[in-house]
Amino acid sequence: MIYREAGQFKTSYEKDSQIFPIAQDRYAVVALLLIAFVAVPLMATPYVFSAILIPFLIFALATLGLNILTGYAGQMSLGTAAFMAVGAFASYNFMLRIEGMPVLVAFVLGGVCAAIVGIVFGLPSLRIRGFYLAASTLATQFFVVWCLTKVPWFTNNSSSGVITAQQIEILGFKFDTPQEKYLLVLAIVAIMALMAKNMVRSTVGRSWMAVRDMDVAAEVIGFRIMRTKLTAFAVSSFYCGVAGALYAYCYLGTVEPEAYNLDVSFRILFMVIIGGVGSILGSFLGAAFIVLLPVVLSVIVHYTGLPNSVTSNLELMVFGALIIFFLIVEPHGLARLWQIGKEKLRLWPFPH
Amino acid sequence: MQFFFEVLIAGLLSGVMYALVALGFVLIYKASGVFNFAQGAMVFFAALTAVGLQEKFGLSIWLSIPITMVVMVALGFLTERVVLRPLVNQHDITLFMATIGLTFFIEGFAQLVWGAEVRKLDLGIADEPIEAIMNSTGMLVSKFDVTAAAICGVLVAALAFLFNKTKIGRALRAVADDHQAALTVGIPLQHVWGVVWGVAGFVALVAGLLWGARNGVQFALTFVALKALPVLILGGFTSVPGAIVGGLIIGATEKLAEVFIGPLVGGGIEGWFPYVLALLFLLVRPEGLFGEKIIRRI
Amino acid sequence: MSERKIGDVILKVDNISLRFGGVKALTDISFDVREHEIRSIIGPNGAGKSSMLNVINGVYHPQEGTVTFHGEVRRDMDTHQAAEHGIARTFQNIALFSGMSVLDNIMTGRNLKIKSSFVEQALWFGRARREEMENRRVVEEIIDFLQLQHVRKTPVARLPYGIKKRVELARALAAEPKMLLLDEPMAGMNVEEKQDMCRFVLDTNDQFGTTIVLIEHDMGVVMDISDRVVVLDYGKKIGDGAPDEVRNNPDVIKAYLGAH
Repeated sequence: MIYREAGQFKTSYEKDSQIFPIAQDRYAVVALLLIAFVAVPLMATPYVFSAILIPFLIFALATLGLNILTGYAGQMSLGTAAFMAVGAFASYNFMLRIEGMPVLVAFVLGGVCAAIVGIVFGLPSLRIRGFYLAASTLATQFFVVWCLTKVPWFTNNSSSGVITAQQIEILGFKFDTPQEKYLLVLAIVAIMALMAKNMVRSTVGRSWMAVRDMDVAAEVIGFRIMRTKLTAFAVSSFYCGVAGALYAYCYLGTVEPEAYNLDVSFRILFMVIIGGVGSILGSFLGAAFIVLLPVVLSVIVHYTGLPNSVTSNLELMVFGALIIFFLIVEPHGLARLWQIGKEKLRLWPFPH
Repeated sequence: MQFFFEVLIAGLLSGVMYALVALGFVLIYKASGVFNFAQGAMVFFAALTAVGLQEKFGLSIWLSIPITMVVMVALGFLTERVVLRPLVNQHDITLFMATIGLTFFIEGFAQLVWGAEVRKLDLGIADEPIEAIMNSTGMLVSKFDVTAAAICGVLVAALAFLFNKTKIGRALRAVADDHQAALTVGIPLQHVWGVVWGVAGFVALVAGLLWGARNGVQFALTFVALKALPVLILGGFTSVPGAIVGGLIIGATEKLAEVFIGPLVGGGIEGWFPYVLALLFLLVRPEGLFGEKIIRRI
Repeated sequence: MSERKIGDVILKVDNISLRFGGVKALTDISFDVREHEIRSIIGPNGAGKSSMLNVINGVYHPQEGTVTFHGEVRRDMDTHQAAEHGIARTFQNIALFSGMSVLDNIMTGRNLKIKSSFVEQALWFGRARREEMENRRVVEEIIDFLQLQHVRKTPVARLPYGIKKRVELARALAAEPKMLLLDEPMAGMNVEEKQDMCRFVLDTNDQFGTTIVLIEHDMGVVMDISDRVVVLDYGKKIGDGAPDEVRNNPDVIKAYLGAH
């Protein structure tokens, strides 16, 4: 009833190619952004900001990055956290070593460094595919973390390997409280999500999907496979790199290699699968789900009076079972469920 | 030079153990096209169960091992039934991700049941140098390593025999080539898959016992799977001899690199060196050592 | 069709030999294609027809021989060059991008016309936006031409076989090709679908003057719509000429009906 597109006629291709062609979607997105930027900061507690909202947004950004690579371009990666680490450490070093380096520029440069590393480690994808590629991205994961641990220059000769992240200051305004950090992260994530949406509806996005679905045909109609794959690796790693920098600066407050281990890579992969492979919205849904799940579980465990050590193992089991469940029952994840819900809503309450 | 050989032999011996784990992968991959990431978790689960049964119920090791074997084979069958059968005909990568999910589930389950602390596992084989070798050549070669390698060697040979010479092996190879064709000639597909997963569970048990006795039964056992990956890249996912040769090469070069190159760059290169080696190799020969070259048709 | 003007030779293959290991797929094949004509390649299964198309647009690289396109002599083609020089094609087993909508599939055919970088596209700004709209217009014309309006936004995986084949033709046409290689465009279709497809192929040839190289098993169709026909058997050329000549060629009869 409410969600119906009848009467919305597109009179130009421009109108038909909008990001959100259906009016209700546009209103919903605007409303959501208003809530996120205005209502949430007024109401949420510091705990909610730093334990839920900030990690949710940062992981959503990293998931977006992996989704570009895996969901849109079809290249499996188990090394997401490595690219995040590169972004974090590059941002740290740019700010450390260049006097007066603005934070935002450092984040972008961190993303660019991650993109470069992404291109280098994406090179094998030109010759190998499937599991072999997945295994080679594992190499990225181990190598990058090892490198950051062993080369003292990256950590500025810190003995423990754990460094406190610099103060975030933009145009004289300091971002100290969880609320301020939340707003910064939100702004960055919103802009980058919009850009991702633009990319996947343009030629670059179509080139990724073409290579994913049928690479020989893509080549025959003129896409350059190498350039397409490497662009996907670069853009994906850029997103992961920025997410990594935000993870260090706005969530952890420290920069350390161990924060970007294999477990984080897997977790982000799970967000992609549960949220929806090849869906921008799905990246957010998946991140929300996986960030909230442990919180919910620990509450349940707390009320049932089980020992706390149970929580982490239970979490592993639930994660694992959910992944299998989603792959079997709904391989396109929460995003598809959402879409099905919308289709139903279009017809409701008169389904025939 | 003597030191070099000592390292080389130690490397080759642990290489045999890698080969065993890799073989678990190859077996499943050949028969069902699934890259079973959970193999490492199965190794961990097997070792933990064997020790846990001893601890909780005071069983002797020789009683707990057969019980664990039953558990592992059951786990294998169950995995096939619950996880993989509903996913049949799905994309390879989907199956792979399902096994990552399985990995998490098994890891959580194992620790929930048996606890997370590090345990010792004693198989009654001493980890001490073999005197005869020490006396004649002066090299230190661990008795445990040699015994473990021998057990693995026998098992690898038995599996190779099973795969190449027996009726079930022929069925396996037929299934590996083409599921549907195998079905049409009357091979009971799901039965074969069940057997394969059961065997994989058994292989995981042996690997778990040996690695567990060597390094202690702990979460790190799951990383054995990560060690086996470069072996598979090198040897090809579908080749039994590839797994064996790959295991030996990775075992040897990994130890040599750690001992001779490691100190130059700060150590700890065992974690990634095999991968980089395997990758470089892959760039030259994308199908692995013994893999078949695939001509893609359109 | 006699009013259609057939031009000069635009594609010439000379002494092409292609081997896969020890298997000879093509042996010493030569023929030419003239501008605006419909040129068919026929032959029994495994005769090397698809391999021939793959050589022309650079998917396979022959061990011997040359491919001459628009006067440029080449040892072999490269797929990208082929696309840039205006060779488009369809595939025997539909090679659509199954995860994308019909519209997006056809838009991919325009990729070589798009000059904006991915950064501009990410910002959806200026040139990127303009190009997207211009190309959308062209694609809509092709959608009209091939009567695909009703499935415009449908994911191709959901479409029936016959429509998929048509979408593939649309994607190829979106590139505004000079030459179109069609690999069994009518295979597996019923009579009506074949008639539709025939009409689209002839209309394409008529309206856009596109040169067409066609592989087809349906002799009726081939003889009706082709200007000239090449016959392959076991990787060798056994006949070449107008449909009537080929029909009466004793070697061709032998290959199709067996030895007498």
